[in-house]
Amino acid sequence: MTTAPTRVRPEPASFRDPANRVFHVGDEVLRGLDARAAEHWRALRASMFFPALVAAGKVCATEDAPPALVPAGTPWAAVLRHERIPFVSHPYEWSFTMLRDAALLHTEILRAALGDGFTTKDGSAYNLQWHGAQPVFIDIGSFEPVRDGEPWAGYRQFCQTALYPLLLTAHLGVDFQPWLRAQVDGIEAEQLRPLFGGTRRLRPGVLTHLHLHGAMQQRNAAASSTDVRDQLRAAGFSRDLLLATVRGIDKLLHRLDRRPADSHWADYQRTCGYSAQDRTAKEQFVTAALTAGTRPRLVLDLGANDGRYSRLAAAYADYVVAVEQDPAVVDELYRALRSEGQQRILPLVLDLADPSPGGGWRGVERAGFAERAAADAVLALAVVHHLAIGRNVPLPEVVDWLAGLTAPGGAVVVEFVHPEDPMARRLLANKPEGLFPDYRRDVFEGLLAARGRVTDRLELPSGTRTLYRAVLGD
Amino acid sequence: MLRRGEDKERSVIHLAYLDAGSGSLIVQAVVGGVAGVAVAAKLYWRRLVDRFRRQPTDQR
Repeated sequence: MTTAPTRVRPEPASFRDPANRVFHVGDEVLRGLDARAAEHWRALRASMFFPALVAAGKVCATEDAPPALVPAGTPWAAVLRHERIPFVSHPYEWSFTMLRDAALLHTEILRAALGDGFTTKDGSAYNLQWHGAQPVFIDIGSFEPVRDGEPWAGYRQFCQTALYPLLLTAHLGVDFQPWLRAQVDGIEAEQLRPLFGGTRRLRPGVLTHLHLHGAMQQRNAAASSTDVRDQLRAAGFSRDLLLATVRGIDKLLHRLDRRPADSHWADYQRTCGYSAQDRTAKEQFVTAALTAGTRPRLVLDLGANDGRYSRLAAAYADYVVAVEQDPAVVDELYRALRSEGQQRILPLVLDLADPSPGGGWRGVERAGFAERAAADAVLALAVVHHLAIGRNVPLPEVVDWLAGLTAPGGAVVVEFVHPEDPMARRLLANKPEGLFPDYRRDVFEGLLAARGRVTDRLELPSGTRTLYRAVLGD
Repeated sequence: MLRRGEDKERSVIHLAYLDAGSGSLIVQAVVGGVAGVAVAAKLYWRRLVDRFRRQPTDQR
């Protein structure tokens, strides 16, 4: 007999819509619905478009939760069970093409819904997540029956969290990630308008979605949206017009493209100077390290670059998160993974020395990277010297940080670049001499041994790099 | 006591979540193409006419 698990953990990101809330019970992701939302769910379940989108993997698989799973005393009229997203990420950790593909999926879903008498009540980019390089819509509570004569309620939010960030990068070549990270509700029209003066007004989407939209917001700030809905309905706003609007957004998204920028890292794999022997030895070591214990569920590849080792890891693990600092490099990687149909490698934009902090309400609504990362295996290949020398992070701090990203009993596969290595020398050349007396192999080994058990070690044939596998916290 | 201007709305409008925003609703008509522009024009025309109709009673 199974007993109902009782420990309920509310999802900190799910509180803005009182009609439905996500919560966790053990490993399960559940969603409670009030009476009205439950009614909408039953209609959704019986619709044509929804099961088709779920079957295509575009909407996260959802079913009525078995009663045994629902803790006693929940106030909800119905409880749903969602499939688990392997690793939750935020739009400010995505590359340009990732955000664009996520936005395109949102409009695709909205069009399918509208064709079947439904709409979404919000339009946030945070409603999308990833299965590797495939976006998936997760906010089932957002679907509701469409009321004829009404525009899309989620349009403003869609602009702020998806369209404006894309305009910023596509038209001005400015990375959107820091802007999105700074404001949980996205970029406001009034913040962006001053950057789009002069002839920039004529770039695709700018005049209408940004300038006119911003001006209309200002002019109608005092008007209630209920009155405006009535006025629009009376003036003849139709569902066809709504569909035309969404088609227009869709067309615009297809026209937006990332400006190619020169990036030091984009050529790294070609210029980094590994010999073929080093590379073969390194790949063999990483393969052996990943297959030494039980199959890892989650692997973090820190400084993933072109994803060579992420792909290697994906052969021996359930899911790989490939973290890289340069948005242009992540974009390249994402495009490659997407063309391969890769669903088990998620590329993310993240500065390892400045990872995503907690954001939104109380700093927990959008969980920081450290809160999300508890990997069964962490690959830190050729990153330690960038942190220790490039960013002046003390070596003991670097090892502590690696341990913090690793689940208890998990393994770290780490490469130590000796101070004599050409890459390390190049980094050291930019710093005052004698600044890093402790950046030595024996010191690093001592730190690893103090925090876990070093199970394997290999000096690469070039003789200036050593690889370690260490099991931490068991 | 509030000084003049302190209670005025800020120029950047912080709208509530799940609040579509009045301006954001109207602008969608324009984005929708020619038919949409006609809807927006009709909306503004009606607002204008309403204002003139209301004026005599307001002045009483």
